[in-house]
Amino acid sequence: MSEHHITPLKTYLIIASLLLFLSGVTVWVSYVDLGPLNIVVAMLVATVKASLVAFFFMHLLWDDKKNLTLFLMSLMFFGIFVTITLLDTEFRGDLGLNPEVKNPINNRAAFYDTLPLTDTHGHPVDGHSDDHDKDKDHH
Amino acid sequence: MSENKKQNYLNHPKGLMSWILTLDHKRIGLMYLVSGILFFFLGGLLALVMRFELAAPGNDVISNEVYNNAYTLHGAIMIFLFIIPAIPGALGNILLPLMVGAKDVAFPRLNLASFYIYSFGALFAMYTIINGGVDTGWTFYTPYSTQSSSNVVPMTLGIFIIGFSSILTGLNFIATIHKMRIPGLTWYKLPLFVWALYGTSLVQITATPVLAITMVLLMLERFLGIGIFDPALGGDPVLYQHFFWFYSHPAVYIMILPAFGIISEIIPVHSRKKIWGYKFIAYSTLSIAFIGFLVWGHHMFTSGQSVFSQIVFSFITYFVGIPTGVKIFSWILTMYKGQVSFTPPMMYALAFLFLFTIGGLTGIFLGAVALDIHLHDTYFVVAHFHYVMQGGTIVAFLGGLHHWWPKSFGVMYNQTVANIAALGVFIGFNGTFFPQFLLGLRGMPRRYATYDEQFVELHSYSTFWSGILGLSIFLAIMNLFWSFIRKNKVDPGSNPWGGMSLEWTHTSSPPHPHNFEEEPVLQHGPYDYDKVIVEKTYNK
Ligand code: HEM
Ligand SMILES: [Cu+2]
Repeated sequence: MSEHHITPLKTYLIIASLLLFLSGVTVWVSYVDLGPLNIVVAMLVATVKASLVAFFFMHLLWDDKKNLTLFLMSLMFFGIFVTITLLDTEFRGDLGLNPEVKNPINNRAAFYDTLPLTDTHGHPVDGHSDDHDKDKDHH
Repeated sequence: MSENKKQNYLNHPKGLMSWILTLDHKRIGLMYLVSGILFFFLGGLLALVMRFELAAPGNDVISNEVYNNAYTLHGAIMIFLFIIPAIPGALGNILLPLMVGAKDVAFPRLNLASFYIYSFGALFAMYTIINGGVDTGWTFYTPYSTQSSSNVVPMTLGIFIIGFSSILTGLNFIATIHKMRIPGLTWYKLPLFVWALYGTSLVQITATPVLAITMVLLMLERFLGIGIFDPALGGDPVLYQHFFWFYSHPAVYIMILPAFGIISEIIPVHSRKKIWGYKFIAYSTLSIAFIGFLVWGHHMFTSGQSVFSQIVFSFITYFVGIPTGVKIFSWILTMYKGQVSFTPPMMYALAFLFLFTIGGLTGIFLGAVALDIHLHDTYFVVAHFHYVMQGGTIVAFLGGLHHWWPKSFGVMYNQTVANIAALGVFIGFNGTFFPQFLLGLRGMPRRYATYDEQFVELHSYSTFWSGILGLSIFLAIMNLFWSFIRKNKVDPGSNPWGGMSLEWTHTSSPPHPHNFEEEPVLQHGPYDYDKVIVEKTYNK
């Protein structure tokens, strides 16, 4: 249908080197501890990379603008989902009536090594005793 | 020419293979219709078993374990195998190309693939039943669903697969609506059913991937213990609910939007009056689809969710009421001073208005955090969602079937029997579910096989009427299929209700294999009852 856009090789090379550079950044930040920002930075870099691929290699930039709209909409929906979910998980126990409940995941999960690993009934576990479905070597 | 007239999509081409490999949207729609109705019966049977058990307190008929399986399968079958895939799949498929004047949907092969993907997914769900059922509830909440030894995996895998069928159908419909309209059929001249399918499809392709991710995460959690929903590993069981409802609240609009579309067709045609507020109805469809993505947390008011989220979700939930109200009032105003005839489709449309309004309003009650803390997981919620899903979607579906039956199959059912069945559905439905609002208000929790003495009266009342409801639905559907045996054919050129959209004015009943003998030329809009006179023509 509409004529095909021909991208100069130079553009491809620039984008490719940008992608390589960003991969380097991903590796580099993994050595820097930014606390809760770790995940944010990693996701940001990944999003930028994926967008570059979509815009240039997949020609979204020169395509029918409806496709661009759809792409941006999916980013927006993803944004809505993550943001509003974080409004729960980051503020859980926000009345502060019961300090036990405040920020339960980060404070209480054994994963963060503040408590020994327990099963759902609070009994300490070492490996997995009863659940045959689960893989045994995740920690 | 006369031979050409007799040729229609049902009798041409012939042979089993011509059905199995058909690319004709009408045949594919019919296959969705038949499978959907079969699942509807299966789900309905499970419901009657449950009501039978609940006729009296104690475990008289089935054990707790069987009861848990019954409500899980009932919910999963009705929602994932019947309402979500089969209504757009059946009525949407049959009607959309006819309404836009096209020969078929944009991607006929993809359309057939969607049907087979749906069937393949349904096989997994059926395997679940044979293999001993699943007992988590249709919502598969963690942590129980990661531990239950019942068939969580086959069921969720089936749902995962069916999700792809939903996405592909949505994609196909969107492409069809954008690209296949005949010249002159601008957006504002489209029948509102097409707008409704457009909104539904948008939700299908934006929300369903999240369901797929949720099901995959659940399976990974079971098989590999990745810990995303397990607090011991830094995960969060409530996160599952966020994932699930981010899909499933929008999914309730996948269920109700096609129903809104059907009602927007039935009411003007059977009142012979121009639809009131066309653009309001069209845009309210889109705004419902959008707002629907922002309210999922109203299912989680007792999950321990942060208070901040509670307030945000509660507040946004109220906004859903606005576009919904716009539609209801537009339909009522359409009937005002029209020539309303009490045909079977119109009976269902009127029942819809009444039942859906109760369902929608009680949804707003439930959206209020303070009230929901009391009502959550009681029969009040059960009554709410049956008023919207059965009283709304299924009643509209039955209305749509009666409306387009002579068009789709070229035969007319017995209208008196159809009206009696519609009345039976209406009365039986209210008799079954209204008492459940009262039960819920008095504290009867959902998903229990037994109950306290104090609830006997209301429960047995509900069971009695559920029998009437079941019989009426059975009568309605049998009456429809009986019309094939009755051989009460309508003239190929007839227009029994005097409809104005292309499927009534430009194609025969049942339609030609290629829909239109020549490309139709648009003469008027779908609701121009104020400008043009369209005769009701029936057979001799
Ligand atoms: C007028 C707009 C609506 C509002 C404000 C609304 C609100 C709500 C709320 C707040 C709940 C949660 C109750 C609880 O669990 O405590 C709920 C449950 C439910 N609603 Fe609605 N609703 C609306 C329309 C619909 C429609 C149109 C459908 C489907 C066709 C629907 C289907 C459901 C279902 C299936 C549940 C129960 C899910 C479960 O826990 O199993 N609702 N609704
Ligand atoms: Cu909801």
